[in-house]
Amino acid sequence: MSGLGDLIAGLSSLLTPMMLFHAAWATLLGIVVGSLPGLTATMGVALMTTLTYSLDSTSAIFVLICMYVGAIYGGSRSAILLNIPGTPASAATSLDGYPLAKQGRAGYAMGLATAGSALGTIAGVLMLVLIAPPLAEAALNFGSFEFFWLAVFGILISGQLTADTTPLKGYIAGLLGLAVAMIGSEGIHAHVRFNLGVGDLNAGIALIPAMVGAFGFAEVLTAMWNKAGEVVAKKDKSDRTIPDLADLWRYKFTIARSGIIGTIVGIIPGVGEDIGAWASYATARKTSKEKEKFGHGSHEGLIAAETGNSAVVPGSLIPAITLAVPGSASSAVLIAALFIHGIRPGPLIMIEQPHFVGLISAMVLIATLFMAIYGLTLTKAFVQVLRVPYSYLMPVVFVLCVIGTYALSQRIFDIWIMVFFGLVGFVLRQMKYPMAPLVLGIILGDLLDKSLRRGLTLSDGDLAPFFTRPVSAAFVAVIVLSIAMNMPVVRRVTLAPFRWIGARLNA
Amino acid sequence: MHMALADRLTAILFLMLGLALLVGGYTMDRLEIRQIHPASIPGLVPMILGVLLSICAVLLYRSSYRPEERNAAPVFSGGSWGRLGITTVICTVYALGLVGWLPYFWATFVFAVCFTLIFSFPLDGERRTQLIAVAGALVLGVGVALGSSLLFQELFLVRLP
Repeated sequence: MSGLGDLIAGLSSLLTPMMLFHAAWATLLGIVVGSLPGLTATMGVALMTTLTYSLDSTSAIFVLICMYVGAIYGGSRSAILLNIPGTPASAATSLDGYPLAKQGRAGYAMGLATAGSALGTIAGVLMLVLIAPPLAEAALNFGSFEFFWLAVFGILISGQLTADTTPLKGYIAGLLGLAVAMIGSEGIHAHVRFNLGVGDLNAGIALIPAMVGAFGFAEVLTAMWNKAGEVVAKKDKSDRTIPDLADLWRYKFTIARSGIIGTIVGIIPGVGEDIGAWASYATARKTSKEKEKFGHGSHEGLIAAETGNSAVVPGSLIPAITLAVPGSASSAVLIAALFIHGIRPGPLIMIEQPHFVGLISAMVLIATLFMAIYGLTLTKAFVQVLRVPYSYLMPVVFVLCVIGTYALSQRIFDIWIMVFFGLVGFVLRQMKYPMAPLVLGIILGDLLDKSLRRGLTLSDGDLAPFFTRPVSAAFVAVIVLSIAMNMPVVRRVTLAPFRWIGARLNA
Repeated sequence: MHMALADRLTAILFLMLGLALLVGGYTMDRLEIRQIHPASIPGLVPMILGVLLSICAVLLYRSSYRPEERNAAPVFSGGSWGRLGITTVICTVYALGLVGWLPYFWATFVFAVCFTLIFSFPLDGERRTQLIAVAGALVLGVGVALGSSLLFQELFLVRLP
């Protein structure tokens, strides 16, 4: 059956009262989590993973997808009303959303953000159903050599693109994640490494306690460390939430382009929604006829940012499902959740569960529908959510971090792991180390380790196949180019042809 | 503290970690007794990671001396040390001390009430406002402790600590 056929079959299987009930509450909760500064989509998905153990696999994954879609969208609320992005994904949204709110048009800004998010997700879903099956099929030909380079490429590119100041910190974060993955029993000879004499470390460090710590506890600390923002109260009488269709039609090319950019950014391992939003926003600004309005309440800028970040959600699921390589930090948690529920993401997914791509695409679409309904109708309620004081909210979040982590294996040791990663995560964030490569390192460490040693065993210690097989050679070329692009001379020479074409097109 | 100094300190830490990985990988059992392929020794990847982390640490240390804007940026600034310290202490005491020592319900109740009161109790407020703050903290404490206990114990069948 074609990808679109699978999508329709997935939709029909999910349209039951119980599934719609799950979608309704999980999307609403996702929007609430996303809208609260300090609570991110990754934290929401990680905490929700611990709350969905007892559900059947389809319901549990549906809940997590709804949480993910809702939280990425929810970040726009506080970006518009507080000028503080609820999630990093909404940082670009605040550039034009907040000025609109200050003009008394917060409702319209939220309406535009809702429309942009919905359209971006739909664009991403279309690409998910079209790209994922052939990609999984192509990945079936991957051997140890290719998987090794895929893991290296993922961590490297994630480190390069998510680092705030210098790519070096992104690389270090990735290496730290890989080092964490080296702890415990290794996957080929079952030899226990670096357990430091602690028996609980023999099985390694589980991803969920580490993620809940790095994204849950660290965010509680960050939220309490930062000052709270103030909600914009000004309101224009002409303000409304339903966006003008003519407004959307006028920016149809921006929407389509941002949807594609967001999805492509989503496919790149470990990069995430914030980069999707910034890339879409920057492109929209560059090509816009109303450049001067950007940063001062531009409708086009707001739509581009929201379309871009929402398209990353289905985009990030493409490598997550087909290669087990997460496209974002949230999809890394989703991969862990899939394993918990007995679904094995990777190239074999199209053989073991051929309808899964259609099913997960349908989940994203239904979550988008609920997101749009809530986004256009519950504007005032979400403003009230933003007024909840942290002194009441954060203890609830931390209790869930503790008990959720414990519930996974019912070991107190996992709580220690969570606290450790929370404290380290907070310090690393303050020092501008990105978290995405760290997570990617933890999740891809095992694949990288096993692929390198298996590949070397197969080639009897010969390194040549790592460089001569076509896909491996392509990965090596991209990796070398990515590192070399950090040098200004290489960057200038590589980008010169693109600049020349751009100048000719603009002339 | 400026980013340059923070980077230098962390670079030294990462260099030590990198060297520890290298030495740990090198001295790791090579499982000759099991006659494994020499290229698949368990210490191979840790050794490579150790070398790479050490190189990155040296580069980070060197880059901290460049006269760049990012090196002059302040670290750990713009926030409240008091709030951070109290949050860290309360959360770690709850997670690493109270949970497992007290029954889960009481540990969570004490934590939630203390957290809420410390950050929301109006010291200079009127008596009525203070009573409302205490009542709010107690309601939240009971709600969180009871809600999470019931959810995990009854619905998810988790044996609570």
